[in-house]
Amino acid sequence: MIEWSEEHKAIAQAVRRFVEDEIKPRRQELEFGDTPPYELLRKMIRTFGMGELQLARFAAQIEREKRGGGEPAAKDPEASDSPESWRARADAVAMQIIPTIEICRYCPGMVTAMGVSIGLTVGTIMTRGTTAQKERFVPALLTMEKIGAWAITEPGSGSDAFGSMQATAKRDGAGGYVLQGSKTFITNGPYADTIVFICKLDEGNAAKERKVLSFILDKGTPGLTQSKPLRKMGQHSSPTGELFLEDVRVGKDRLLGETEEREYRAGAKETFSSERTGVAAMALGIVEQCLSLSIDYAKNRVQFGRPIGEFQLIQQKLALMEVARMNIQNIVFRQIELAGHGRRTTLAEASAGKLYCARAAMEVALEAVQLFGGNGYMAEFHVEQLCRDAKVLQIYAGTDEIQTLQIARDLLKA
Amino acid sequence: MKILVPVKRVCDPDNANKVKVSADGATVTSDGLEWKPNPFDEYAVEAALRLNENAPKNEKLGETLVCSLGPAEVAQTLRQALAMGADRGILIDATDGQLDTTVVARALKALVDKEKPDLVLMGKQTVDGDSNAVGQTLAEMLGWPMATFAMTVSTNDGGKTLTVGREVDTGVLTLKVTLPAVVTVDLRIVAPAGIKNGATPADHKYNEGARYASLKGIMQAKKKAIDQLKLSELGIDTATSSAYPKFELPPARTGNCVFVETVDDLLGKLRTQAKAI
Repeated sequence: MIEWSEEHKAIAQAVRRFVEDEIKPRRQELEFGDTPPYELLRKMIRTFGMGELQLARFAAQIEREKRGGGEPAAKDPEASDSPESWRARADAVAMQIIPTIEICRYCPGMVTAMGVSIGLTVGTIMTRGTTAQKERFVPALLTMEKIGAWAITEPGSGSDAFGSMQATAKRDGAGGYVLQGSKTFITNGPYADTIVFICKLDEGNAAKERKVLSFILDKGTPGLTQSKPLRKMGQHSSPTGELFLEDVRVGKDRLLGETEEREYRAGAKETFSSERTGVAAMALGIVEQCLSLSIDYAKNRVQFGRPIGEFQLIQQKLALMEVARMNIQNIVFRQIELAGHGRRTTLAEASAGKLYCARAAMEVALEAVQLFGGNGYMAEFHVEQLCRDAKVLQIYAGTDEIQTLQIARDLLKA
Repeated sequence: MKILVPVKRVCDPDNANKVKVSADGATVTSDGLEWKPNPFDEYAVEAALRLNENAPKNEKLGETLVCSLGPAEVAQTLRQALAMGADRGILIDATDGQLDTTVVARALKALVDKEKPDLVLMGKQTVDGDSNAVGQTLAEMLGWPMATFAMTVSTNDGGKTLTVGREVDTGVLTLKVTLPAVVTVDLRIVAPAGIKNGATPADHKYNEGARYASLKGIMQAKKKAIDQLKLSELGIDTATSSAYPKFELPPARTGNCVFVETVDDLLGKLRTQAKAI
């Protein structure tokens, strides 16, 4: 893939119209107030029939599972090796990526909220849950009728997510479990209806030797407290909160996979990979918007009697932003192609892409603020918000430092 | 019912200030401008889709055809209408220089003779030329009833007649037209209750404005047929009846602002200085 197709452009154009009509006018309340993004996200999903598409793909996958793999259903366009099915798979991924790019031009936080719900929470249930658990929890999450959260980070465990994890599950002796612990920086935490809670099985053994398990919790489960949104630097359209679990009693049907044998760490790389690849599309939206606002400003802002775009120092900023945009777009294209060919991105490659895109988005957004001068520092001008929003791309889904370690570890492993 | 909706692409009206005139004044150049469907035509597509569906059941009740005259790129404009839900497109290959109100109306008449729609539903005017004449000319050529500036349309008598609310200066004029007919639509036709077709429940509230194409609709649009025709193949007189001898941009505004104390002062300055009255 070297260019967006006509259909991709048509999707981008349609979503952009929605974003400019529905999201842009509410940017103040979303980014400078406490309005949660969910109603708007639901409206977008409804408007473009995204829920129906996701539910159809979900139904096809459940059908494949129930058949125990084997031959694909004749009418399932994504389940064969023909060029048409490559295209269908690639288009399915593109249809998720394009709205991400378009929303990120205005409110990257909304993508974080949506990505954690539909991407991470659903993704975890789909890779670890039983078929019954998938059917029970996933459909309502795909339409965002219910909001999902994925809880791993704790006050004392961030980059060392598993090593320092304190949250525990203890067997209750009757086939169920008692859960304890506190989680923080949980996207959608304040409003989530369905929470994937990751913790260690306490069998009286040392913390280091404990298995990591994951559970699905509903809002309102006795013993579960969801905090109010935390104040943060940017991405205010993504509510972030804390979760507190005190003697939360759950049955085995809440244990993902319904078996203690499915150790969470074993498949964690896939979750981390998918989380990291999502950042490239977000970075692309932020960079595209910063660049287009900067070009307009450079053409129209007059100083010393001419538009500042005529000064070479400003031209250099624009040129470097364009280089970043091209690179990030190429990474996004590669992701779409890989998905089309049914190939997963390796963790090292996902880390490399995420590291580059997050840094580039931050640099471009900072340069956009610089190019706008005093105006860029004012909340009235959009680049100020995008700059604050971009920073978290270097922190969440693994910090830049963790990505760097992962890439180096992969290079040196042989 | 079978509805034909002519659609024209126009320069993005939000960027109208970027329109340039060629050095010799012979043409308006559209280089570097983005194209969009004429907004009134988009409303006509929406109105046609509403007339031809049972909205809550997501059922189609008739065929909606969209057509456009222009170069090959016009297919993209047709694809947008197909993505919204229209069934088939017809592209008549022609250059801007070949077209004026009369030629477009003749071409549409040829299409109507061929396709035999029950209704031609179109925008009241395009936002580039603003002639507001193709619908009226077409109705005259066809000898069909016509209702212009429609803000409401409802079907009666089992789809044999339409009641059309027309937006006029003094209020709303209600007309009953017998099909086949030509109806041109105004902005308010896409209000939530602009269209009543007897199938979609009367209390159904549409969203304000033309619908967004769904992702599925966009992907399906590439599989829908767009018939290709040439202007010269329609068997019509292709001589234009109007010509543009010269284009020039209005003089640049000086930006001078003069404050006046009284109405008499204002009238005096308009007479002596601005020579506007």
